[in-house]
Amino acid sequence: MNVNKMFPERGPAFWWTGFTALIASGTIFILFVSLVVESVPVFKVQGVSFLWGTDWFAGESYGALPMIFGSLMVTGLAVILVLPFALGSAILTSEFLNGRYRLMVKAAMELLAGVPGIIYGLIGIALLTAAVRDVFGLIDGNTLFTAGLLLAVMILPTVMTLAEDALRAVPGEFRDTALSLGLTRMEMVLKVVVPQALPGLAGAVFLGLGRAMGETIAVMLVIGGIDRIPQPWFDLFAPGQSIPSKIGREAAESLGFDLQWSALIALGLVLFVMVMALTSAGNLLLRRAR
Amino acid sequence: MTRRLFKEQTILFALYGFTICGCLVLAVILATVFIKGSPAISGAFLFEESRNFGLEGGIFYQIVGTLILMAGAALVCLPVALGSVLFQTEFLHSPQIKKLFRLLIYSLNAVPTIIFGLIGYLFFGVFLEAGVSWVTGVLILAVMILPTLHVSIHEAVESIPKHYREAALALGLSPGQQMRAVILPQSLHGIVTGTLLGLARAAGETAAIMFTATAFSGVKLPQSWTEPVTTLQTHILVLAQEATNPLALTNAWGAGLVLLMIVFVLIAVTLWIRSGLQMEAQR
Repeated sequence: MNVNKMFPERGPAFWWTGFTALIASGTIFILFVSLVVESVPVFKVQGVSFLWGTDWFAGESYGALPMIFGSLMVTGLAVILVLPFALGSAILTSEFLNGRYRLMVKAAMELLAGVPGIIYGLIGIALLTAAVRDVFGLIDGNTLFTAGLLLAVMILPTVMTLAEDALRAVPGEFRDTALSLGLTRMEMVLKVVVPQALPGLAGAVFLGLGRAMGETIAVMLVIGGIDRIPQPWFDLFAPGQSIPSKIGREAAESLGFDLQWSALIALGLVLFVMVMALTSAGNLLLRRAR
Repeated sequence: MTRRLFKEQTILFALYGFTICGCLVLAVILATVFIKGSPAISGAFLFEESRNFGLEGGIFYQIVGTLILMAGAALVCLPVALGSVLFQTEFLHSPQIKKLFRLLIYSLNAVPTIIFGLIGYLFFGVFLEAGVSWVTGVLILAVMILPTLHVSIHEAVESIPKHYREAALALGLSPGQQMRAVILPQSLHGIVTGTLLGLARAAGETAAIMFTATAFSGVKLPQSWTEPVTTLQTHILVLAQEATNPLALTNAWGAGLVLLMIVFVLIAVTLWIRSGLQMEAQR
């Protein structure tokens, strides 16, 4: 590689911007490497059984399975709950609303996507847990279901906006052709536009999944905080724990270098890998859509 | 009515139903925060310090803490984001490397915020010996909002017409002079909107700073580099966990409303600037 050929002009501007670019692009590596290095101690003590152990007793054993399970459950539930609303409103906004209303909906969604997680957490703990408890006749409203429901509301604006973008990206000729063949408006949308936009729609859902999985505060306040896989495992109305909520609850008390800290970092590593997989898949699908 | 038309109308009806339900849920959330929060808001609430572990008094230092963290983060982040965008657009010529660079920034955007908290504490708190302090918080948030600023500035720089650059080149400007004379002034709107969005993101973040930068009570303005601050976000977090106490809950809703207003104003200004630009472009 010839540096002179790649960068013919190397003045002060080059070095200055190059330095900042190095920081910007290196951060993600530093994050990943730190996660790996810092989680080595717990893997040394526990081996890979860290990943499928079911007991987490600080100072004795560290098993991540209940947290991994909880994360998958609440994220999956959130996506199932959000799908009809996000896709329905995306289709309506993109295909049936005229320009001005469309812009209004988009602006509202952008505003709502910015609502801080702690606000959702406050609503969850003050109102939603009691509502879930009363509606489903439970003893305690802090359950996996409550967390999934709250997450669904949180990711609705994100998924809806991305899905709408994906639908808009389908070229107008497809619509004109479909209409000229005598399809109704709805047939055109469902049989032409949606299939064409399918990779983009899937990408939107994957990015929403990634966001939901990493959300900490709101989930932490309503999930119940018990490191146990419910019996039976599909019982959504039992308290549980997700990876970020576990880290959020225990990071403050174990700031430092003992095994507990290492175990929390290892949980972070597992979360990082899962979220990156989801987001990469989402970005790949969105790019293919374009 | 034919069956085909009936089907058409039914599905459209369902779409409207889903959309209205979705919007209604979100509207209910906003209304709840306003209705529950507005009784707590008063001059005293905004400008007094909190007493009795947040049960009495106001949230003055919490507001100041949130402002310190978000402004600090944007200030630290802006030069880095600007520099990295300029390097990407002005000096990188290979499309593969450009693509890779974009991929790295997008990945950074996807990292769960709690991980920024964990590793940020190790890096800034332990290695740089800042401890649990506002400096650690500022640096963590700066890293967290980097992708937001980067993407927004990058979009603006990319949309500068090609003949502007050609004119600069024809005048014999060096890359540094080009940046100062052409690229920065022409991408100013992207820099402003990116920074505003970054500020909004930093203001709304709790997970990354709750165990790295903040303390709950007895904290006023930081007097040194290594002191924690108290913020609206963590104030709400602690009060929310005492949800059985109506006094705590009232103050939590009040603080929530203030936080929501800060975030909304920032995003609304961004949207306003953007829509103004779009109108200009259409003319």
